[in-house]
Amino acid sequence: MQEIVMPRMNQDMALLCLLIPLLPFIGFLLNGLGNRKFSKGLVGFIGCSTVLVSFLISIYLFLDFKANGSQAYTVDYYNWISAGSLRIGFSFLIDQLTLLMLLMVTGIGFLIHLYSAGYMSHDEGIGKFFSFLNLFMFSMLLLVMGSNYVMMFVGWEGVGLCSYLLIGFWNKNTNYNNAAKKAFIMNRIGDLGFLLGIFLIFITFGSVSYPQVFAEASKLTGLDTPVMIGITMFLFIGAMGKSAQIPLFTWLPDAMAGPTPVSALIHAATMVTAGIYMVIRSNVLFILAPTTLEVIAIIGAATALLAATIGLVQNDIKKVLAYSTVSQLGYMFLALGVMAFSSSMFHVLMHAFFKALLFLGAGSVIHAMSNEQDMRRMGGLRKALPVTFITFLIGTLAISGIPPFAGFFSKDELLAHVFEHNKILWGVGVLASFMTAFYMFRALFLTFFGKFRGPEEQKHHLHESPAVMTVPLIVLAILSTIGGFLGIPEVFGAEHVLGDYLAPLYTYARSINPAAFETGAVSHELEFILMAVSVGVAVLAIIIAYFMYIKKEEVPAEENARLAPVHNLLYQKYYIDELYNSLIVRPVMWLSNAVHRLVDVIVVDGIVNGVGRMVILSGRTLRYAQSGAIGFYLLVMVCSIALILFLNFFIG
Amino acid sequence: MNQIPDIIRTIPLNYYLYFSTALFIIGVIGVLIRRNAIVIFMCVELMLNAVNLLLTAIASYRADTNGQVFVFFIMAVAAAEVCVGLAIIVMTYRNTRSTDVQLLNNLKW
Amino acid sequence: MTSIILLSIFGIINLFVGFMKSKRILLPLSLLFLAVVFGANLFSWNEAQSYFNHMLTIDNYAVAFTGIMVLATLLLLPFSQHYIEEANENLAEFYSLLLFSLVGAIMMVSYENMLMLFIGIEILSIAMYVLAGSDKRRLRSNEAALKYFLMGAFFTGVLLFGIVLIYGATGSFYLTDIAATAAVNDGTVNAMFTLGLLLLVIGISFKISAAPFHFWAPDVYEGTPTLFTSYMSTVVKIAGVAAFYKLMAAAFAASYAAWFPTLIAITVLTLVVGNIGAVVQTNFKRMLAYSSVSHAGYLLMALVAFNERSDASILFYSLSYALATIVAFAVLQYVSEQRNGDETYAAFNGLGKTNPLLAFAMTVAMCSLSGIPLTAGFFGKLFVFTAVVQDARLMWLVVVAVLMAAVGIYYYFKVVIAMYMQPAADAAKIRIGSFASFMLIFITVFTILLGIAPALVSDLL
Repeated sequence: MQEIVMPRMNQDMALLCLLIPLLPFIGFLLNGLGNRKFSKGLVGFIGCSTVLVSFLISIYLFLDFKANGSQAYTVDYYNWISAGSLRIGFSFLIDQLTLLMLLMVTGIGFLIHLYSAGYMSHDEGIGKFFSFLNLFMFSMLLLVMGSNYVMMFVGWEGVGLCSYLLIGFWNKNTNYNNAAKKAFIMNRIGDLGFLLGIFLIFITFGSVSYPQVFAEASKLTGLDTPVMIGITMFLFIGAMGKSAQIPLFTWLPDAMAGPTPVSALIHAATMVTAGIYMVIRSNVLFILAPTTLEVIAIIGAATALLAATIGLVQNDIKKVLAYSTVSQLGYMFLALGVMAFSSSMFHVLMHAFFKALLFLGAGSVIHAMSNEQDMRRMGGLRKALPVTFITFLIGTLAISGIPPFAGFFSKDELLAHVFEHNKILWGVGVLASFMTAFYMFRALFLTFFGKFRGPEEQKHHLHESPAVMTVPLIVLAILSTIGGFLGIPEVFGAEHVLGDYLAPLYTYARSINPAAFETGAVSHELEFILMAVSVGVAVLAIIIAYFMYIKKEEVPAEENARLAPVHNLLYQKYYIDELYNSLIVRPVMWLSNAVHRLVDVIVVDGIVNGVGRMVILSGRTLRYAQSGAIGFYLLVMVCSIALILFLNFFIG
Repeated sequence: MNQIPDIIRTIPLNYYLYFSTALFIIGVIGVLIRRNAIVIFMCVELMLNAVNLLLTAIASYRADTNGQVFVFFIMAVAAAEVCVGLAIIVMTYRNTRSTDVQLLNNLKW
Repeated sequence: MTSIILLSIFGIINLFVGFMKSKRILLPLSLLFLAVVFGANLFSWNEAQSYFNHMLTIDNYAVAFTGIMVLATLLLLPFSQHYIEEANENLAEFYSLLLFSLVGAIMMVSYENMLMLFIGIEILSIAMYVLAGSDKRRLRSNEAALKYFLMGAFFTGVLLFGIVLIYGATGSFYLTDIAATAAVNDGTVNAMFTLGLLLLVIGISFKISAAPFHFWAPDVYEGTPTLFTSYMSTVVKIAGVAAFYKLMAAAFAASYAAWFPTLIAITVLTLVVGNIGAVVQTNFKRMLAYSSVSHAGYLLMALVAFNERSDASILFYSLSYALATIVAFAVLQYVSEQRNGDETYAAFNGLGKTNPLLAFAMTVAMCSLSGIPLTAGFFGKLFVFTAVVQDARLMWLVVVAVLMAAVGIYYYFKVVIAMYMQPAADAAKIRIGSFASFMLIFITVFTILLGIAPALVSDLL
C-alpha cells in the first residue's frame, strides 16, 4: 500500500466509479422484478449490457489512472456508518490492485454473461438466473472497490449468498440443495474468521479503512507480535473459506452442481480469488506476521498437491476442473506465503483466463451432450465441436504450463519464488504441476479423442455451440495465449510489466521488511533450469497421458464394474506396461482415491457434520428442559436465582 | 399519643427485614409446591405483602412518605392483577374444568 | 409526555368507537392515532423535560425509544386484518389495550424513579396477560395467558423485593439519589443493596426473557395469538432492554462490579440457549420465540459493553430486530391462516412460487435477523459487537456471539429453503390486502435502506 492522495474532487469521476457497481445492481433489479414479463432476449440484453458498460468504464478509469501518474486515490460518497469512534465512509479506493481486479471481474464477467445468454436460453428461469448473476457482479465489485474492511466484508457476504443461490439454481434436485447448503455453511465458517479479524483490526488500529490501518501498521516495529499473528490468522481463515483451501475446500467441487457458467464465473474466475485479493490487499499486515505466511505457504502447497491427487481419478469433467481450481488456488496461496504477492496476482489473472475458458469449454461440451458430464460417455468430440476443441486445447496447454501460453509464465515465476524460499515446497509444487498436466490432458483426451462412447442417438445430436457461446471461448483462448506476456521473466530481457505496475502496492511492506522484496537471488542459469524442469515434467505428464488414453484407449472403469484380471491381461500388449501399471499407476490411483475418501469425505465432512450434530443434539437435550409444566419452570428459575445469589455472596 | 410510625419504630428494623424476608420466602415456597392456580396466586400476593410490610417499616424508620405511597401503588396494581388473574383462571377453568396448573402442558419443547 | 396523554385518551376513544356496529373504522382510526402520537413524540426531541416531581424525564433517549415502539405498533397493526374480517367482537378492546400498554412501555423508557418503572412494567404486563389469553376458546391461548400471568406475577414480586431493598439501603426511589449514595460508598453500599440490585437484574431479565428466566417465553409466544406475539417480542422486549440499560446507566453505573459478572453469565447463557433451542424446532412460531430469546442476548451484549456506544447500539439493534420480527410474524399469520393454523416450516413450502412478495419480504427479514449484510440486522450486530470489543478483554464474548450467529443462520434459512426450494403442497395463492402489501414492502425497503445507510438511525443518540 502506498500513500493515498486526497480524494480528487471530481464529480464526474465519482459518478463513474459509482456506476461500475451500480449498473449490475440496476440489472439485478430490472431482471429480478421483471423476469416474468421480459422476453428472454431482453433479459439477456439487460444482464450483459450493464456488465459491458461497467467494463468500459473500468477501462476508462484504468487509462485515466495511468495518464495521471498512477496515483492511488479514494472516492468518498457519504458517511456510511458512524457510531462513537467508529467512522466508516462509503468510499472506493482506486489503485493498481483495484483496477486490475475491476478489469478482470468485469471483463471476464461480461464474457461469461454473454455465454450464459446462449447457454441458459432454454431455461425458463433465465430471468432469475441473470438477476442473480448481476447481483453477484455487484457484490464482487463492492468487494474489490471498497476502501475499508467492512465494505469488503459486505461484498464478501454478498458473493457468498449469490453463490449459494446460483448453486441451488436448479433447485429441484435435493443433492444440489445440499451442495448449496454445504457451500454456504463452509463459507460462513470462513466469514466468521474474517469478521473476527476485522474486529481485531479495529481494536488494534482504531479504524477499518485501508489507508489508516496500513499507515498505522507500517509504524509497528517487531515482527510476529501475537496480535498481528491473530489478525492475519483470522483473515486467512476467511480466505480459506472463500478460496477453498484445506480444510474448507470440499464445498467447491460440490458447488459444481450449479449451471456451468456459474462454475466458470464464481467458482473459477472471480469469487474464489477473493481470498487472494484480500491477502494481497492486506500485504502490510501479513508481512508483519511471518509465522502466518509460513502457515499459508504450507497450506497452499498441501492444497495444491492434495487437490491434484484427487483430480487424477475424477470422471466428471466439471469435477476435474473443480479440483484443478482448488489446486491452482493452492499455488496462489503458496506464492502469497513466500511473499511473492505480484506473482500470485499474476497467476490469479492468468488462471482467470484459462480456467474460465476451460469451464466454458466444458459447458459447451455438456451443452452438446445434453447435460452429460461423465467423460466416460464422451470421446471423439474433436470433429463435432472444432472450436470448443481448439480453445479447450489452448486452455489445457495454458494450465499445464507449456510455453508460450499464459500459465507457463505465471506458474514459472511463482515456482521460482518458491524455490528461492524453500526447496521442499518447490518440490511439492512441481509434483502437483506434473499431476495437473496429466489429469488435464487425460480429460482432454477422454473428451475429444478416441471413439464416441455415448449412446448412438446422442451421436447425431452433437453440435457445435452457437456463436454467442463460442465467441467468448475464442476471446478467452486468445487471452490465455498471449496473456502471459504481461509478465515475461527478466531472463528474457523484457520488463516485467505486471510486476512494475503492482510495485507501488508494497511501499509500506517494503519499508517493514526490505529483504522480502529483494529480487534476483536466483541466477539466470538456475532460472533456466527451473523453467526447463517445470516444462519437462509437464511434457512427461502429457506423454504418459497420451500413452494411456490415446495409444491404449484406456477408459476409466465404471464404478460398479471391476475389470477382470484375465480380461486385463489380454489387452496388455507390453509386459512393461503391466509392470508400470501395477507399480506406479495403480498405487497412485489407489492413493488418490484413498486420499479423497479419507480427507474429503471422512475428516472434513465428518467434522462439519459432527459439529452440526452436536448442536442439534444439545438442542434436543435443551428441549426436554422445556417440559411445559409451570411448576418445573418456576422451580428452575428459583434455583437459578438462588444460585446467582449464592455465587455472588459466597463465592465472588 | 404515639404516632403510628413511633409504634412501628419500637421494633428494630432488622426484625422487619427478617420477618418480611421469611414471609417472602414462604410465598416463594408456596408458589413452588402448590398446584392449584388460585393458591399459587395467593402465595404471590403473600410475596407482595411481604414487600408492602417492609416498605412501610423502612418508610417509618426513615420518616419518608415515599415508601408509604409506594405501598398504595403496589396495592392498586395488585388489585388490577387480581382482576386479570382471576379472569384468566376462570377462563381456563371453563375450558378444562380444573384449576390444576400441572394439567396445562400442551405448550412445550 | 404528550404521547402518554394522547395514547391514554385515544385508547378510551377507541373503546367508545367499539360500541359502533361496524368494526371497519377501528383499524384506520388506531393507525391514525398512532401516527399522531408518533409525530407528537418527535416534538420533544432535544427538548428534555421532567414531569411529576422529576419522576419522568422525556429526554432524547426516551423520545428515540418511544419512536421505535410506536412505529413498531404502527407497523404491526395492519396485519390484524383477519380479526376485522371475522368481525371479532372484542377488536376495540384489543386495540385499546395495545395503546394502553404502549403508555406503560413509554414510562419504562422515561422513568427517573423506581415507582414509575414498576408502574410502567405493570401497565405493560397486565395488558399483555389479557392479550395473551384473548383467544378465549382456544386452550393453547388460555394456557399461554395463565403461564404468563403466574410467572409474571411471581417475578413482579421478585422485582419489587429488589426495589424495596434498594430503598432500604439508599432511602430513595430516585435513580439519581441511588447513584449518588452508591457513588460515595464505592458502588457497594451494603449487602442489602447488592441483594436488591441482583433481584432487580433478575426481575428485568425475566421481562426480556433472558436465560435462565426465559422458560415462559417459548410457551407463551407459541400460545398467544400471532398478532400479539409480534407485539410481545418487539415492543415489550425493546421497552425491557431500554429500561434495563437506563436503570444500569443512571443508578448503578458505580456498582458495575456488583452486577457485571451476573449479567455476563446471563448474556452468554441467553445467547446459547436461544440459538441452540431454536435449531431443533419444527414449529416456525416457536422457533421465532427462541430466536427472540437469542436476540435478547445480543441486546444484553450492548449492556455488558456498558460504554458510550451502548445506547446507540441498543437503539439500532432494537429497530432492526423489530422490523424483521414484524415481517416474520405477519407472513406467518397469513400462511398459517390459509393452511388451517399450520405453523410449522412445512407450511411455507413453495411460498416463493405462490406469493413472491410474502416470500421475498420473509427472506429479507430472515437475512436481517441472521445478520447478512445489506440488511439492517447486519449493522445491528456490527454495532453491538464493536461496542463490546472496545474492551479487548471481552473479545471472547464476541467470538461466542459470532458462533451463535452462525448457528442462527441455520434455522433462519430453513424457512427460506422451504419457501423457494420445496414444492408447494397447497398451490393456492394467499390473498393479502393492498394496504398490508404496501406495509410489507415499506418495512422491507426500510430494512434494506438501514442496511445501506445505517447512519440514518445510528447517529441519533
